[in-house]
Amino acid sequence: MAEVLEGKKLSSYAEVGATQYVLERGLDTDVMVLNMGPQHPATHGVLRVELITDGEIVVKATPYIGYLHRCFEKHAEALEYQMTIPYTDRMDYLSAMNNEWVYCMAVEKLLKIEVPRRIEFMRVIVAELNRIASHIVAIGTYGLDIGAFTPFLHTFHDREHIMNLLEWLCGARMLYNYIWVGGVSHDFPPKFKERVAEFLKYYKPRVDEMNNLLTQNELFVQRTRGVGVLPADVAINYGCSGPMLRGSGVKWDLRRNVPYSIYPELEFDVVVPKGDLSIIGDCLSRHLVRCYEIYESIKIIEQCLDKMPEEPGFDPHKAVPKRIKPQAGEAIARGENPRGELAYYIIADGKGVKPYRVKARAPSFSNLSVLPELAKGTLISDLVAIVGSIDIVLGDVDR
Amino acid sequence: MSSYFGTIKRGAETVLGGLKITIEHFARATKRRTPLSAQEDTYFKQPLGLVTIQYPSEAIPTPPFSRYRLHNDAADCIACDQCARACPVQCITIKSFKATPDDIEELGTTSDGSKKKLWLEQFDIDMAKCMYCGYCTYPCPTECLTMTPVHDFSEFDRSNFIYHFGAMTKAKAAEKRAKLAKYEEEEKAKKAAAPKPAAGAARTPLAAKAAATKAEPTAAATETPAAPAADAPKPAPKLSPMMAAKMAAKKVETSEGTAAPAGEAKAADSAATPADAPKPAPKLSPMMQKKLAEAEAKRKAEGGGETNA
Amino acid sequence: MPSVELNQWSNWLSELGVPGLLLIPAIPLVFIAVYALYAGVYGERKVSAFIQDRIGPNETGKWGLLQTIADILKLIQKEDVVPAAADKTLYVLGPIIIFVGAFAAYAVLPFGPAFIGADLNVGIFYAVSIVSIEAVGILMAGWGSNNKWSLFGAVRSVAQIVSYEIPAGLAILCGVMMAGTLSMHGITLAQSGLQADGTNNGLGILNFFIFQSPVAWLAFLIYFIASLAECNRAPFDIPEAESELVSGYFTEYGGMKFAMIFLAEYASMFMVSVIISTLFLGGWNSPLPNLGPLLLNEWTNGPIWGVFWIVTKGFFFIFVQMWVRWTLPRFRVDQLMYLCWKVLTPFAMVALVATAFWEMYVRNTM
Repeated sequence: MAEVLEGKKLSSYAEVGATQYVLERGLDTDVMVLNMGPQHPATHGVLRVELITDGEIVVKATPYIGYLHRCFEKHAEALEYQMTIPYTDRMDYLSAMNNEWVYCMAVEKLLKIEVPRRIEFMRVIVAELNRIASHIVAIGTYGLDIGAFTPFLHTFHDREHIMNLLEWLCGARMLYNYIWVGGVSHDFPPKFKERVAEFLKYYKPRVDEMNNLLTQNELFVQRTRGVGVLPADVAINYGCSGPMLRGSGVKWDLRRNVPYSIYPELEFDVVVPKGDLSIIGDCLSRHLVRCYEIYESIKIIEQCLDKMPEEPGFDPHKAVPKRIKPQAGEAIARGENPRGELAYYIIADGKGVKPYRVKARAPSFSNLSVLPELAKGTLISDLVAIVGSIDIVLGDVDR
Repeated sequence: MSSYFGTIKRGAETVLGGLKITIEHFARATKRRTPLSAQEDTYFKQPLGLVTIQYPSEAIPTPPFSRYRLHNDAADCIACDQCARACPVQCITIKSFKATPDDIEELGTTSDGSKKKLWLEQFDIDMAKCMYCGYCTYPCPTECLTMTPVHDFSEFDRSNFIYHFGAMTKAKAAEKRAKLAKYEEEEKAKKAAAPKPAAGAARTPLAAKAAATKAEPTAAATETPAAPAADAPKPAPKLSPMMAAKMAAKKVETSEGTAAPAGEAKAADSAATPADAPKPAPKLSPMMQKKLAEAEAKRKAEGGGETNA
Repeated sequence: MPSVELNQWSNWLSELGVPGLLLIPAIPLVFIAVYALYAGVYGERKVSAFIQDRIGPNETGKWGLLQTIADILKLIQKEDVVPAAADKTLYVLGPIIIFVGAFAAYAVLPFGPAFIGADLNVGIFYAVSIVSIEAVGILMAGWGSNNKWSLFGAVRSVAQIVSYEIPAGLAILCGVMMAGTLSMHGITLAQSGLQADGTNNGLGILNFFIFQSPVAWLAFLIYFIASLAECNRAPFDIPEAESELVSGYFTEYGGMKFAMIFLAEYASMFMVSVIISTLFLGGWNSPLPNLGPLLLNEWTNGPIWGVFWIVTKGFFFIFVQMWVRWTLPRFRVDQLMYLCWKVLTPFAMVALVATAFWEMYVRNTM
């Protein structure tokens, strides 16, 4: 076999992996190089995946990123601390509240500010609402990748309700600029809490309907069960976090393991698949983790609505510093984004109002790095399922 | 074998279940949601049905405090430049210049009574650059800059996105600028011609008032608060005990060894400069000693950085 | 009605000479055009919209009825682009062969008892075999586009079509065995309740084959599923999987060529609907039974009524196909093959043998 191939000119992309595969197969075939280009309905944004396939089977998949790089960290060095918050929105634009929150926690750590209790409850409520919205996008578009067109539209309508609520609260539908250093930008309007409670009551049966239509459908299960199995140790080595890690059976949630804000007071479960419907670590597990996290978020919001302290005449700006000029120092804050662990590392040099360095550790970047590992030996349809289950947002990957 | 039939059975069951859900949606297609804002009490009490809103003939009402198109009431603007400074993308361009005293009346006041002192020559907002964060609206003292709920304002030409809110014509601006230049020249000439003030006399109106009040009760006021006197004892300001201890320590330090200009004392406050000379123990109460020791330890732990007052 | 007179209109047209002979294929073609525009594209858009809680087209014309006309006008005006590196002959011929394959089967579809393009005594056999030319057209389109994604789609599609013809054919054989003839009119007549002495038992729907045999429902189901695969409809739409391959084998097509491929898909949808209603649901026979003094069966049978019934049944199955499309996710290629060879084919064989025994020993028609 080797002699036959020696004299032949293999395609320029046939590196060690591909050649090995062809040799092992013992057939005189060549591999095909395909580009799931930056413009592709299934790549959730501008991601380019270069595929080397042997027929339908993927031999090697290499993601190319950077199409959405907008120099967030460089911008942060040129802006004051409070002015960077709209920029953090735009990193993982589907879960903007969570991004802002982790950034504000980092700056608050730097300044050693204590945030009032009511503010903490408000932050948890909007962050969990945003978590539901983000998971809706993940689940809906995952259904679309697998071929089910209808759950996408049903769930996006529910997301509209969340966006309308948040528009009422802070004035914007997706890029909120709501969570500020030391507080939030607006207090809850009157009747907002009742409306959120009504939303949760309306939404619970809709989640059940979505699960019946999509998650429990045998065709969907067959498409995602056993596909792209990510072992727990590989996930940890690659730095995966969030539903990727929990889908592999690792019970790790920053809201419980590295608690912040008022999460220690709230009762909720960390969702880990049990392996009865899915194989632990496959695409279906990750999808199930997201579906059940919606239920957990609903639980959290209900508890917060009950426990939130009522303060008439509350000023949400009371702990917001007028001018942020920290002493030299550094601070790290980590938070549980819907996609995984988001962390900010801020270094202040004490010489002015702008940070010396802001490093954003994005969850989707580390989650995506596992793709070449998962994609070996799968069919192209499976590759689409795997990319969908990693749930990346290119704004987060590229920043 | 059982998994073979099990898969077929599950497939049939779930397919039929899914078909039931979609046919229910199909049957509900006679009802429609009306476009209500989330503020309405009946927002979640509408029938399940078609959810499309026929934009532009109907639209979801945007809540009144939504952050969309900016609007500036130029009549209320005092040209303080706070909004331009707060904007992260620097999309606001403000050009203003002082008004001469006789023009102040022409300028008028804002609607909430604040006095205007500057001519607003140019107030441009580039809505194409604007990121709708709303930071410009918070520092505005007269609340003339607001974000309106208008969200549909597309243009064919990008230069039409630069909204001009400044109300002065070019001719008027040129005229007023010339007037200001002339006025300033006149003021300069007046100052050059005026006699020099007597030594020791108060330079500012405030100092003059202070000197006047001081002259009455005590006769021995040889220095005004404006004049710095390095040797004469300063009137003891009301310091916290902590600060008093620090000042005492610093005084001992300066009197002991190296000549310490005011700058070094200040540097010892902020930067991390460990004191070379051993600090002599000042006469302090036990409480103050404890506090000082704690402060010392904290400072050592943080490498000399102190919390910002 | 003691006996049914067949082919009145076709015979009259063929007696007119050449103009009549040209008119015979023109009528189904016009029907395809109108149907594909309205029940096909417009119907699909409205059905999918209502299932997804949307409105669908409603701006052009009342209820959006002129939407497809606007789409066709737009497509006609588009520039006919042939990619520079494409294999020109194959690229141009592909859509033509796809459409011809789908349309040629309309020759044997009975639009009521009075009209059929060609009353062959091997009608069903002809229909099933001529449709397989589509596979060649698809391969030409996919290869000729010079696009790796199109090639993927084309290869998958050919594998799918060729494989699913097996269970489809076996299911058809069940219906044929119950009728005893391959002719389309003959199969329909066998379900019209016509007795040996020339009278009609007037039972309407109970005469239909689906109720005449305990395994006919199985054959019906198998044929329905296989026909979805033949038409590349979801859940078997992997050749045109939108989220994976953009548009599969017709990615590189635009304008009128795209319209022809699209039309061919809707044409074959109607064709398989007619075949399945002919085989198992009585074709152009009325389902209404004679209830005592109300001779509903007699009143609703006739040349014009026949057209109404066959078209209604065809549209009903089109609706079911659309309903299924917008509910279910898509199969993966190997799962598709598994379904065909390991599930549908064994069950189809079981149905075939069971039908044979039923026919021989119970209905005694063989």
